Amino acid sequence: MSVQSTVRPEWTVVIDPVLQKELEQHIFVTNWPKLLEMIDTVYNWGRRSSLWPLGFGLACCAIEMICSACSRFDISRFGAEVFRGSPRQADVMIVSGTVTKTMMPMIARLYDQMPEPKYVISMGACASGGGPFKEGYNVVSGIDKYLPVDVYVPGCPPTPQALLNGLIALQKKIDGESLADAVWYKPEVERDIPVPVLGPDLIDVRFLEITAEKTAQGVLDAIQADMPKPLIIPAPQPEKAEEPAAAQASAAAAPMSAADKLRAKMGGAKPAEAPAAEAPKPAAKPAAPAKKIKKAEARPSLVWLGNDKLKALSDRLNGEFGAGTSTIIEAGLLIPADRLLAVGKFLRDDRSTRYDYLASLQSVHYEDCIEVNYHLDSTVHPGTLIELRVRTDEAEGKGEVPSLTDIWPGAEFQEREVFDMMGVRFKGHPNLTRILMWEGYAYYPLRKDFLEPYYEGPTKVFDSRVEEGHGHHFRSEELNPYGTNLKIPRGYEDWDKLSSNDDVKGKNLMPGGVQISELETDQFVVSMGPQHPSTHGVFRMNLRVDGETVVGLKPVMGYMHRNHEKIGERNTYLMNFPFTDRLDYLTSMGNNFGYALAVEQLMGDDAKVPERAEYIRVIMAELTRVASHMWAIGFFLNDIGAFFTPALYAIEERELILDLFEWASGSRMMCNYFRFGGVAFDLPKGWKERCHKFVYDRLDGKIDELDKLLTGNEILLDRCKGIGALTAEQAIAWSTAGPVLRASGVNYDIRRAAPYSIYDRFDFNVIVGKNGDLFDRYYVRLQEMRESVKILKQAVRDLPEGPILPGKKSYQIKVPAGEAYSRVENPKGELGYYVVSDGSATAYRYHVRSPSFINLTSLETMCVGATVADVVGILGSLDIVLGEVDR
Amino acid sequence: MLEIIGLIIKISIVVGVTQGAVAYLILVERKIAAFSQDRIGPNRVGPLGLLQPIVDGVKMFLKEDVTPNYVNKPIFILAPFLSIVTAMIGFAVVPFGPVGPNGPGLFDGPIQFQIAPGIDIGLLYIFAVGSLAVYGVILAGYSSNNKYSFLGGLRSSAQIISYEIPMGLSVLGIVLLASSLDLNTIIQWQDKNAWGIFVQPLGFFIFLICAFAETNRLPFDLPESEQELVGGFHTEYSSMKFGMFFLGEYLHVITVSFLVVILYLGGWDPPFVSLGDSGWLMAILKVGTLITKVLAMIVFVMWIRWTLPRFRYDRLMELAWKRMIPLAIGNTVVTALILQLIRR
Ligand code: SF4
Repeated sequence: MSVQSTVRPEWTVVIDPVLQKELEQHIFVTNWPKLLEMIDTVYNWGRRSSLWPLGFGLACCAIEMICSACSRFDISRFGAEVFRGSPRQADVMIVSGTVTKTMMPMIARLYDQMPEPKYVISMGACASGGGPFKEGYNVVSGIDKYLPVDVYVPGCPPTPQALLNGLIALQKKIDGESLADAVWYKPEVERDIPVPVLGPDLIDVRFLEITAEKTAQGVLDAIQADMPKPLIIPAPQPEKAEEPAAAQASAAAAPMSAADKLRAKMGGAKPAEAPAAEAPKPAAKPAAPAKKIKKAEARPSLVWLGNDKLKALSDRLNGEFGAGTSTIIEAGLLIPADRLLAVGKFLRDDRSTRYDYLASLQSVHYEDCIEVNYHLDSTVHPGTLIELRVRTDEAEGKGEVPSLTDIWPGAEFQEREVFDMMGVRFKGHPNLTRILMWEGYAYYPLRKDFLEPYYEGPTKVFDSRVEEGHGHHFRSEELNPYGTNLKIPRGYEDWDKLSSNDDVKGKNLMPGGVQISELETDQFVVSMGPQHPSTHGVFRMNLRVDGETVVGLKPVMGYMHRNHEKIGERNTYLMNFPFTDRLDYLTSMGNNFGYALAVEQLMGDDAKVPERAEYIRVIMAELTRVASHMWAIGFFLNDIGAFFTPALYAIEERELILDLFEWASGSRMMCNYFRFGGVAFDLPKGWKERCHKFVYDRLDGKIDELDKLLTGNEILLDRCKGIGALTAEQAIAWSTAGPVLRASGVNYDIRRAAPYSIYDRFDFNVIVGKNGDLFDRYYVRLQEMRESVKILKQAVRDLPEGPILPGKKSYQIKVPAGEAYSRVENPKGELGYYVVSDGSATAYRYHVRSPSFINLTSLETMCVGATVADVVGILGSLDIVLGEVDR
Repeated sequence: MLEIIGLIIKISIVVGVTQGAVAYLILVERKIAAFSQDRIGPNRVGPLGLLQPIVDGVKMFLKEDVTPNYVNKPIFILAPFLSIVTAMIGFAVVPFGPVGPNGPGLFDGPIQFQIAPGIDIGLLYIFAVGSLAVYGVILAGYSSNNKYSFLGGLRSSAQIISYEIPMGLSVLGIVLLASSLDLNTIIQWQDKNAWGIFVQPLGFFIFLICAFAETNRLPFDLPESEQELVGGFHTEYSSMKFGMFFLGEYLHVITVSFLVVILYLGGWDPPFVSLGDSGWLMAILKVGTLITKVLAMIVFVMWIRWTLPRFRYDRLMELAWKRMIPLAIGNTVVTALILQLIRR
């Protein structure tokens, strides 16, 4: 094959050189290279123009990847719209989003299953290098650590145009290839990627020995031992009567100034000894004059039971269950663990309280304890939110709290999450296994004493990474002796037990089944996902099926766990805004809204939102709702088999809304538009008119069109009516939220139940369904869009002039110490942010109550007894977004 | 001798044309999808993207052909061939134009626009061959040793059992009317009297629905159903083997469209005018009419795919057993009764 010369071999007949010359002029193919060139042309032409992508999306970038198929961008022009669900039929893998450690073995497997020639496009900052989530403990810093990448597409997320550009770049690359040196025809080149193993961390088997060696030496632990640690504060204690609240700020830290405290946080006990390169800038600043940490008003949420009634309730509990049952701490009730079940039952069932809805459950790691706290609300008396606190041993793996799953089944996944992240055990929990990380992962990452592999300091911004004068720019990889995002406890021994065939993520979640038919039939387990066309991202379900009937189901998640909360505890308050965008990446404005509210609750009057900004916020939030519901309906239809057509129609409207967002905030998807006390920028000139036109002249018609085309369709009705039904009681008990809850007939919408912002000024209805089946969920969403349009019309009409922030734009946010839980009605349901502030620049604890995640708790109940096809529809009707499920 | 040569020529024409047509049908499908989704569709290779099928073919041929080591090899390899072959041999009895003594003459006899003219059990033959096609799917699903494929295969076998029956029953009406199983005779009957769709509306409807189910097209594409089973029976197939399934599917669409047109839409009989019996011109016109109708039918099939959601598996069974079979039986009985009454 490698004959390069045109010299004719000796054995050929000698011909006249003149004749040879003439021949060469008239005959096209005269030698090997020329022939090869011609074949190459055809060969490359075939591959370049028919690049079928593997249909799998990892994170936010996947949304833009899908959008590249919609009418505005239309990737099909390049012949590349044929997204294949099976890797065997795909040519190019578009790695669209954050590559997590949990997902990496799957990606490697998919890559190995693709037939040659295969290509990889790395889409977005995350896939290319870890992106904003790089320092997360579950994030792989770039897919190129494992797979060979052909084209990198920068952006976060790259717009669809950028992806198309990447595709064209790949085509150009293919044009330059030649059969002669195609690696896939060289048997000596090993193209398969060894599948990495989920052990104590993600372990690349290619470097197994060196990893083991370094672990035994404990190099990382040694380095991290010298690093400044995050501050850990004691838990708040009950108020002594009459003392001013401010003096009660966490005892140890109270006399310190904010700056002192910050420094303490950076440097632990010995700030002076911290290496200069690692000490963040603020530490070098001169200390501010000492002043007390401001304390925020103690209240669990903006709308809640109120101090007096809480006192009464506490007294009542003490009367009912004996003194000491309930102590009020920071407007929450501290309950001893052994009485929690009794109190919970009482609160749920008593006529006067009826706390039937567990809104949220989270935990905080304090110096002296781990606190698990519960936010309860009542669907009978909405807006009477209270907070329960339970405290348990702080030591790693020692804490234990009774499980509340019997009282509020919706606690199931949230308790598992606390177990996974903090190591607190829940006694009586039906299946207490890790939920986001995998079984065998070595740490409890949300404990304050866990430092991530790329840990550099307690607060971002880190010091400059450019060594002055040397032009050397060092990366986090260089700070970790493994050279990658890896941390393994020193004593780890079981290296030879690691096997990449072990399904550590799913093996504890194999559904049991029941015999349903009288015939003796075989049941088998199908694992749907994490790469599956209709799991809406990297979600996985282990199904046990009897024929087509599902007899058992266990959701497996965490494939997109990118450590939002841990990272959020190192971000300064302002810096965290763009991260909230990436939770439910279809509703960035709504996520911003909730986060802003939480911190504003702590800031109190310092962050009083001006009128104009309130209106703008509502307009943005409602536009988001329309966009998100459009997407939800479109893809729900897709899930029940209407191949992309409804989805693409719905995306069209979404695109128009994204245009408005982009115009106002600068970004289509990740708007980062809200600020504490207002919004980032005023609306550009002409924005209001365009929005007015869109809302008044177009949206209604389009919603009607969807309604007309879809709602009456017999197949749709047949697929939806009576499927996946949840009764009202079930929906409440499982803590479902948003359209899922309302479709079951529960009139509970945070905008009305616990009004925030200026929603009380608008005239709109809370849409409620009857049967809680797929159809109702679909139809509730459809009608909610109409209500949103109604709100939008009023808001756009009344939008006043004025400032958009209470004061000047500020980058130094001072947040008083305290606790806040904000709730907004996001398109997916109640989105809550729980923030504990210690008065420093970063949140002490930051937790997201994610509606997508909690709505999934009821999935098993809905699916058992249904068919495989229904499961797909049911999942679609929940409208989950993995960014929010796994966070 | 001449006859055999003619036969070979005919076969090659049919095979060539249908294979080419299939490649282009895939493009047509993509264009229709684009059209119904407000997009443009492939347009980068060749004018209007016309070379897209060729590009896809080249790529498929040159792709690595993976045979996973957990599959049942012989069957795994056999399955795609089965699916293509069974889809092809149905064409043996399909009349593409007029057949009979009055055809345009060439050499020493009239040309018969049918590979095997004069088979008087044409319809039976098509049904027999058509139901073989499912073996491709079932075997693929079985041999892949993959749970999705397996479910796809299961669905397919259940579907075929259910849909062969109403399909067979639904054509009995038109067969009774034309008193023949020969496709040609059926067309001639329609030419003389009225199109099947007018005299057998119910039969037409049932047949159409079953035709969709037979071809595994939405809203009945259960064995494949991308959203549920990833790729269903062909999940494990790559390269040209996968391409063969693709071709097989579209071949099937063509066969079925021919059948619908022949049985119910008058075959080569154009609407409103009646064509004479002999001569080249007439023959060409007839072939043209037939092809046009078939194309329209194919476009219709595709249009449906991009419009409707999918049935659920058990509902599909219900539809077949509880609704269509009784209706089809009723249709046959009523037709027979009326015929008896009229004849008397
Ligand atoms: S954060 Fe999201 S949008 Fe940004 S690069 Fe990562 S996956 Fe893409």
